[in-house]
Amino acid sequence: MKYKSTLFRYSGYVFLLPYMALFCAFLVVPLCYGLVLSFFDWEMISPFPPKFIGLGNYGEALTSPYFWKALWATIRFVIMIVPSVVLGALLIALLINNVPQKQESFFRAAYFFPTIISISVAGILWRWFYNTEFGLFNSYLQNLGIRVHWLSEMKWAMKSIVLMTLWWTIGGAMVVLLAGLKQIPDQYYEAAAIDGANAIHRFFYITLPLLRPVLLFVIVMSIIGSFQVFGQTFMITRGGPELSTRVLVQYIYETAFSNYRMGYGAAMSWLLFLVIAVFSLIQFRLIKER
Amino acid sequence: MRNSERGTGNEYPGEQQEMKTPGKMIVLFILGLGALVFLVPVVLIFLTAFKPDAEIIHFYSIFPKSWTLENFREILGNPEEIPIFRWFLNSVLISFMVTSLVLVVDSLAAYGLARLHLPGRKWVFTMIVATLMIPGQIFLVPVYLILNRLGWLDTPLAIIIPAGAGAFGVFLLHQFFLGIPRDLEDAACIDGCSRLGIYRHIIVPLSKPALSTLGIFAFLGSWNDFLGPLVFLDSVDKYTLPVGVALFQTSYFAEYGLTLSACVICTTPVLIVFLLFQRHIIKGISLTGLKE
Amino acid sequence: MQPPGNIKSAFKTSLRILLCAFLLVGCELGPSRKITVRFWNGFTGPDGRTMLKIVKRFNRENPDIRVLMQRMDWGTYYNKLFVAGIGNRAPEVFIIHAGNIERFMQANFIRTIDDLVAGENGMDTRDFSENIWNAVEKNGRHYGLPLDVHIIGMYYNRALFRKAGIVDEKGEPKPPETREEFLKALSKLTKDVNGDGQNDTWGFVLTWYWTNLYSLMCQWEGKFFTPDNDKCLLNSPENVEALQFCVDLIRKYKYSPPPENFDSWIGFRQGKVGIAFEGIYMLADLERQKDLDFAGAPMPVLGKVPAAWADSHILCLKTGLEDKKLDAAWRFMKYLSDNSLDWAEGGQVPVRSSLRNTERFRNMKIQWEFAKQIPYIRYVPRVPFIFEYGQEFNVGVEKALRGTLSPKQALDEAAENVNKIIERRNKMIEENLKRRP
Repeated sequence: MKYKSTLFRYSGYVFLLPYMALFCAFLVVPLCYGLVLSFFDWEMISPFPPKFIGLGNYGEALTSPYFWKALWATIRFVIMIVPSVVLGALLIALLINNVPQKQESFFRAAYFFPTIISISVAGILWRWFYNTEFGLFNSYLQNLGIRVHWLSEMKWAMKSIVLMTLWWTIGGAMVVLLAGLKQIPDQYYEAAAIDGANAIHRFFYITLPLLRPVLLFVIVMSIIGSFQVFGQTFMITRGGPELSTRVLVQYIYETAFSNYRMGYGAAMSWLLFLVIAVFSLIQFRLIKER
Repeated sequence: MRNSERGTGNEYPGEQQEMKTPGKMIVLFILGLGALVFLVPVVLIFLTAFKPDAEIIHFYSIFPKSWTLENFREILGNPEEIPIFRWFLNSVLISFMVTSLVLVVDSLAAYGLARLHLPGRKWVFTMIVATLMIPGQIFLVPVYLILNRLGWLDTPLAIIIPAGAGAFGVFLLHQFFLGIPRDLEDAACIDGCSRLGIYRHIIVPLSKPALSTLGIFAFLGSWNDFLGPLVFLDSVDKYTLPVGVALFQTSYFAEYGLTLSACVICTTPVLIVFLLFQRHIIKGISLTGLKE
Repeated sequence: MQPPGNIKSAFKTSLRILLCAFLLVGCELGPSRKITVRFWNGFTGPDGRTMLKIVKRFNRENPDIRVLMQRMDWGTYYNKLFVAGIGNRAPEVFIIHAGNIERFMQANFIRTIDDLVAGENGMDTRDFSENIWNAVEKNGRHYGLPLDVHIIGMYYNRALFRKAGIVDEKGEPKPPETREEFLKALSKLTKDVNGDGQNDTWGFVLTWYWTNLYSLMCQWEGKFFTPDNDKCLLNSPENVEALQFCVDLIRKYKYSPPPENFDSWIGFRQGKVGIAFEGIYMLADLERQKDLDFAGAPMPVLGKVPAAWADSHILCLKTGLEDKKLDAAWRFMKYLSDNSLDWAEGGQVPVRSSLRNTERFRNMKIQWEFAKQIPYIRYVPRVPFIFEYGQEFNVGVEKALRGTLSPKQALDEAAENVNKIIERRNKMIEENLKRRP
């Protein structure tokens, strides 16, 4: 093999250099700051300087009913949204992949369009849709005699957020999966077809395995992203009714920036990180093993 | 068989095509229905922007009873109070710079991590991906302090440079690069070549779908970014579009008409970028086309 | 089709050109001899545009000073304010709500203004209504200049009033003033016009719990904290009574829609509601609703005594300003105060009685009506943990209104939670004081 020259081998590091410089400056350093901060009791705009309290903030979070309620709201959201988005996006991507090119561009744009809309406008729009009294959905449903309390009944509120999120984010996942599908060389399909494999076989033995790294990406990003949900609940329900949709990131945000308790907010962020890391690790293992 | 006619892979030289058409029609129908559902809310936004504020509040109907341009006029016609062209220019510049930065820096790093035998690369990669799992608010204060030290606050640099540190691009491209068959690189390098050569002449052309996808996301993320520009920019004429547009929304109520018409103005460039980039997410490269 | 590499480099070249052009255009040529005063506030929307006009006028009339105004919505405004404070980039002049000022006072974030007020370019503090001037007072010193007072009041729909026959001798709509009149009016206003079982017009809606309920609780003479702010008294019987009254409006009398079914303020704007209590700052929003015939009046006395929630925008100075900047900043602040009638047109009430006693203010009909309540306005309790307290308050009220808990249970729970917050803070303060030499 000809690439064994030292220059060749170490030139690899140069590839990483630009990114790692930015990464260290703007991610690692702030993270360390956040980690250190989580061990302190510090209120912004306070007459007192920060006070080291070790794991005090973590202890407070783990024994706080608000923390668990917020975490539970987030987990409910994650459990509902991740399978729906991934499976939905996969389905749409597969369908679009089988359509002639002209229509393909149109469909890809159509499903992706909602993702382009900013969260504040999407929030205004869906608040109108979901309004019990004069919302768009209910004004059509009332012809069937149904009246749904989309946002004001606890059993519906989170589901409404999930539905809106599906509309808003499925396009993103779909575009990534579609790009992944495109990368699978035709030759593999042709070879399999010659061997007599039908569509289902081809999907499970060619598409899925070759799509695995990209699929893993979509699933993990979906988990990571949905654990950090904030914009939708903040804009549409503001955490209501009765704090049932107040997700953890909203609670962290309020703690740090409205209650000015930066140390406590940092600690909760790290706890959230642990939860996400565990869930993601499980996914990595599950998908990589096969 | 030509790539452009490839379907599910059912076609191979010689197969009959009778069973194709009804299958295709069903697929088109389902997709079409779905597309309608997805597009209707967007169309509503556009339509509502043409309604006068007084009518919007009544939510009478989908189509405006009286079409009006007053919302657009108020936004576009007030450059002193609402310097929307300035904000537009800022957004365009910043988003393009961010996209370029991310595409270059992240693809280099992702290739390094996916292919090169660097010791500890698994750990580095894990650490990079792990940073995605930390809620963004925690970065706000420390990054602000760093930017303050560097003197970049209230300049576009404050938005552009930190964007290059995001792990999303590295993660995405890393997964895509894993999917490129290794033998391609080996085969193309029989006479010996530099890493950079492999990167430029093989990886980059092969990853057009991936790079285009990342480009779209990078642009979109930067265009819609709100919290960063809000906190790191002070002067109104340095604002980007989302921050400027937020000036119509008070904490008590929203001026719906203005907000929605601003949305129309904000969304159009992203749509254009998307349409431009997505052309690169074409059908996969046929292996037989490459020189062996 | 070009490979991405070429496109990228084309992008980058054209961008470099654009960037240079952009920087040149944005550059300021030569040093500025003006004193720059940065002014931050949360005035977005129409009042923001009003304020911008006043700032521009000041800049024109005072060529040696340049005021740069920055605005964003209140939620993010406070975040940015203190993040800037950490980086020592806080602006020279900024606005704080009177309700939030306690924390800033305690942290020495803002400068007292007594010396400036008494100085050569000063003003007569007797011109301020006493309760407003006291809202910025702590230990005998005053920490900011009140710019305005925004009071809650009663907005009512004149068209609905006329239709329901709630008029005086001259046939003009007559807003209620007592509890009996209020309930009577609501009974006439709540109607199911087309007989579909759903009310088409409602008598009354509660809007923002924080302000509505606080006003009513004050009217029932309820207490909120012990004088030293050591214990929360939110569940005192008077507060429970006030909350019960609101619950009755919804569930007993049915003059008010259940909160889960209705977007209250929008309902009023749509013309479906007879009466709503909201702040004077909503005036601009209502004026955009061209088909709504509305008017304003002081809140009726539904409890035992008249009371109305109020808050003020306070102009504050950063601590540690050097003389020239301080002088410029103070001149700007005084200018705003002297011109607060212009500010009032956007939907505010001036705090200076001399300005209120003018013909011009009299002609601002709704502001004039709301201003009648000044003698008995009530600011929210001054505690540093105002947001946490507000959360418990709002959630407790929400639970009672939705029927999840009875008013007593809801307020008991809220008070208990607030007491836990106080306990935690007291512990923190105690430990911190021990650390000090």
